Amino acid sequence: MSPMGPLILASFLFCVGVYGVIARRNAVLVLMSVELMLNAVNINLVAFQDLLYPAEADASGQVFALFIIAIAAAEVGVGLAIVLNMFRNRASVNVDDADLMRW
Amino acid sequence: MEQTLDLAWLVPLLPLVAAGIITFFGKLMPGKGSEIGIATVAVAWVISIGIAVHTFSNSPIDALEKAFSWSPLGGGFTLELGMLVDGLTAMMFLLVTTVSLMVQIYSREYMHGEERFTYFFAMLSLFTFSMLLLVIANNTLQALVGWELVGVCSFLLIGFYWEDKPNQDAANKAFLVTKFADVGLVVGVIVLASAMFGSTSTPFNIGQLTEASIHGDIATGTLVFGTLMIFLGAVGKSGQMPLHVWLPDAMAGPTPVSALIHAATMVTAGVFVVARLYPIYAQSLAVMNTVAIVGVITLFFAGFLALVQDDIKKVLAYSTVSQLGYMMAALGVGGYTAGIFHLFTHGFFKALLFLGSGSLIHAVHSNNMSDMGGMRRHMPHTFWTFIVGSLALAGFPLTAGFFSKDEILVSAQLWGDNSATGDFVFWLGLAAAGVTTFYMARACLLIFWGEYRGAHAHHSGQDHEAHADTVISTPHESGLQITVPLRILAVLSIVAGFIGAPFWSQDDNFEQWTATHALEETTYPFIAGGEHAIELEGEVESAGARNAASPEEVGVALRAGPLATEATEGEGPSNHVLHGPPEFHADVALYALVVFLLAVGLAWRIYGKGEPETDPTMNLGPVTKALVNKYWFDDIGYRGIVVPIRDRLATFVNWTSNEIIDGFVAGVGAQTKRIATGTYDTLDQKVIDGGVNGAAFSAAWWSDKLKRIQSGDVQRYAGALVAGVIVLVLVFAAA
Repeated sequence: MSPMGPLILASFLFCVGVYGVIARRNAVLVLMSVELMLNAVNINLVAFQDLLYPAEADASGQVFALFIIAIAAAEVGVGLAIVLNMFRNRASVNVDDADLMRW
Repeated sequence: MEQTLDLAWLVPLLPLVAAGIITFFGKLMPGKGSEIGIATVAVAWVISIGIAVHTFSNSPIDALEKAFSWSPLGGGFTLELGMLVDGLTAMMFLLVTTVSLMVQIYSREYMHGEERFTYFFAMLSLFTFSMLLLVIANNTLQALVGWELVGVCSFLLIGFYWEDKPNQDAANKAFLVTKFADVGLVVGVIVLASAMFGSTSTPFNIGQLTEASIHGDIATGTLVFGTLMIFLGAVGKSGQMPLHVWLPDAMAGPTPVSALIHAATMVTAGVFVVARLYPIYAQSLAVMNTVAIVGVITLFFAGFLALVQDDIKKVLAYSTVSQLGYMMAALGVGGYTAGIFHLFTHGFFKALLFLGSGSLIHAVHSNNMSDMGGMRRHMPHTFWTFIVGSLALAGFPLTAGFFSKDEILVSAQLWGDNSATGDFVFWLGLAAAGVTTFYMARACLLIFWGEYRGAHAHHSGQDHEAHADTVISTPHESGLQITVPLRILAVLSIVAGFIGAPFWSQDDNFEQWTATHALEETTYPFIAGGEHAIELEGEVESAGARNAASPEEVGVALRAGPLATEATEGEGPSNHVLHGPPEFHADVALYALVVFLLAVGLAWRIYGKGEPETDPTMNLGPVTKALVNKYWFDDIGYRGIVVPIRDRLATFVNWTSNEIIDGFVAGVGAQTKRIATGTYDTLDQKVIDGGVNGAAFSAAWWSDKLKRIQSGDVQRYAGALVAGVIVLVLVFAAA
């Protein structure tokens, strides 16, 4: 099976994620875009595992993907907590309003 | 008695301790400090007698020399603080302590009630210490220290009544004149020491110095220059012409001071130093002649000045100058023994005369002889002691002055065979003896004969010695504390002469007593037949050998040396400094006696009635004018030295100081300030501060620009990150 299909999908998803992270103003959507990027990487890992080590019992790519899913879940937890607090303090989830770290 | 020599260091030390105690505790004592001074000098006097007895009975001794050494500079150069005890030291000890003791006892009464009584005694003790330090010195540097200290004490005591301007002036004059001469002394001491550098670690040591000069180890030029420079110091200190001008003015001090310092001891320091270094002086005829000529000029001309003085102390002062001239002249004509013998006897009778005059002044409240008269009835003790002193000074037979002055004339007569200066000294000395007799007779007749004239309303300038509150009445004799020292000194003025009288035996006489082996070895190299001692001994032996062979030949050879006549009498080589025991020359004694009688006779004719109004010495026209104006020495000194220095040199130096030196200093200062300001303005303010500020400002400017990158906008950061990644990917892809 050609790996092209999954790789193109992964690239597309990653680009959509990058766009979302850079361009969206809504903090929740930014988090979701980050998830897109992570999952694009997951697809890559699984695809390359199958491409490079076909028919082997080893499954490092898939294991990495599982780790990333777990960490992404934790990250979203932290991220949503921040967003929640931000909303409580500012009544807004617009990332442009969160500029306390500027000069 | 041997041990007394080891105690010699106590003699100068005791008065020093006394000076300290009197200064700090004197006012608390019942005698206001005077008892300490008298007690210590009395102990010193006893020790001095012990030293003299031992030294004189074992003469001629090797000088006892002991010293502390100190070499602060290293390099084999050692300074010494030591003592040199020989016949000369012993004699000076005896003189200084005796006169100091007498003067201090006398001063208890004389200075009674003075405001600065304690200070006076502290100064007397300090002076006694200084003089003894000079006398005991075993090196010229220590002698110099003592010499300057006596100068300071003299200055302080001349200005004792410092409330009066003339007294201050007199003190300043004495100090400046002697200090001028002291420059010569310092130079001389250093020059002689420089000749000794290298050959010894103690170049200032007197013993080594004389030893080297006896053996001819010192270059003639150095020796002549050094001795003449030291002689300049002696001229100043011992009041030789033309630097005698300070001594008569020094009479501004209290009379006991005049007696102790300006008659008996300090002024003889110059004579003493020349005598101490006599083996060096004996090396050059030119130096000897200089000493003799200065001495003879002084002794001859100073005597006349005493003729026109009305102030009794001034009479005695000029007399002192004249007598110091005798001593110096004696040393200059080879009369070493005669010179120091006259120093010794003169100390006693001149101290007696000064103390006697003090007693008179105390009673009359005036220094002027015209205020006295007829005093022999009012003050009998003062009268006979003063007469004894005058006779001794005038050289009446069998007094101290008779023996010592005749010794000087005999020495001059003998020296006449060597050098014309001998004849000069002999005839001028004889003439001056007549002058001396005449002015002393004049003084005695004016003071003691006639009627009491009383201190009239006109007080002399020095009436501070008088107690103004006492009513003018007939004077009365002074108390015991004044008359007892007078009597003791009167006895000494006679007895002191006999120890140097010519009738002592060949091996036991004053010359032997005050001689040392160093002096015995000394010869005059400029007299025929004598080179230096070492070579000479060989010659004597060979001469002795030849003597046995052919007497005539030796006689001829010896006659070549003028003093040789003595040598034929078995006395040893003619060119020895010590030319045998004191001699009695009947012709000299006869001359002296005739001169004495003539002078007394003349004085009696003129002053017999005791009337100063008809004083012929005051009516001799230009002669009197010259004498009253002191040969214009003071005027010459004032116009020729003081005025040019004060008005020209001082002004010029002041101008130089103000304009040139100050200008230079100010210019340097201004330039420095200008350079400093320039440096500050450009380097500090512009370059360094500019650099520092510029760095700070540029950092601020850049940070203002760069801070805007940190926008706080997370998405912009993410965009930049992505852009960076893309760039990196492209870069790596391209590679």
